[in-house]
Amino acid sequence: MWIKASVAAAVVTVAAMGFAPVASADATDDYPIPNRILRTPCTAEQIMAAARDVEPVYYERYMIDYNNKSPEVHQAVQDRIHWFFSMDYAGRRQYSEDTATNAFYEQLAWNWPNWAKLFFNNKGVAAHTTDICMQYPRDDMSVWNW
Amino acid sequence: MKGIRLASIAAAAITPALVFAAPAHADPDTDFAKELHTYGIYGQKDYNAWIGKITCKRLYNGVDQDADKSAKFVFLQMQKGSTTEQAWQFLGAALRTYCPDKLPVLEAAAR
Repeated sequence: MWIKASVAAAVVTVAAMGFAPVASADATDDYPIPNRILRTPCTAEQIMAAARDVEPVYYERYMIDYNNKSPEVHQAVQDRIHWFFSMDYAGRRQYSEDTATNAFYEQLAWNWPNWAKLFFNNKGVAAHTTDICMQYPRDDMSVWNW
Repeated sequence: MKGIRLASIAAAAITPALVFAAPAHADPDTDFAKELHTYGIYGQKDYNAWIGKITCKRLYNGVDQDADKSAKFVFLQMQKGSTTEQAWQFLGAALRTYCPDKLPVLEAAAR
């Protein structure tokens, strides 16, 4: 009887270890960067154009913030987001992991903590923009002027 | 007949401006919300004000080139179940409140 109970306890313990959830600091397929953004074939400019139409207040606030930054930061933001979207799913997923597990990983965040807010911060916004982003031109840089 | 109808649309675009003319010190967002209420358009005051101002900005920036495009943009941002007529009323109120110099765009659409 005793033996039976301890075996059962051991089984429960092992199972708990087996199914231990990932540490909360790790990234998931939807956090910190939404899955839609990890997988979309769109460019940053296409997503911004979509946001301007279907998430206008979110876009407006991001651009107000953006316009308060220096030309150097503007260039850095554009380069960094172009680099991000140039990667495939695996690369983006790795970047998501890196930023989730190391607060110091993204250097640009020192200059502007919300530098990618329009793209990364809100699953609902990401869903709305990635739904329609393909219908906009891929390289229309005018979306940065607002 | 058509001329008369269109004239009344144009009048509709201008007359409310007189009715809703507010004292200079008033908050335009409040006036805007009040006018929207007369059209049965509710929702968050700040949100509606944003949409009104952004509608103007889109006309200034050339993202929307005419009133049809503006109305379409406005309609997209309104609550589900809103009518096309309400979108046009919203647009008229937005232009009068936030960018009266763009009112000719509305008049051009009525022509």
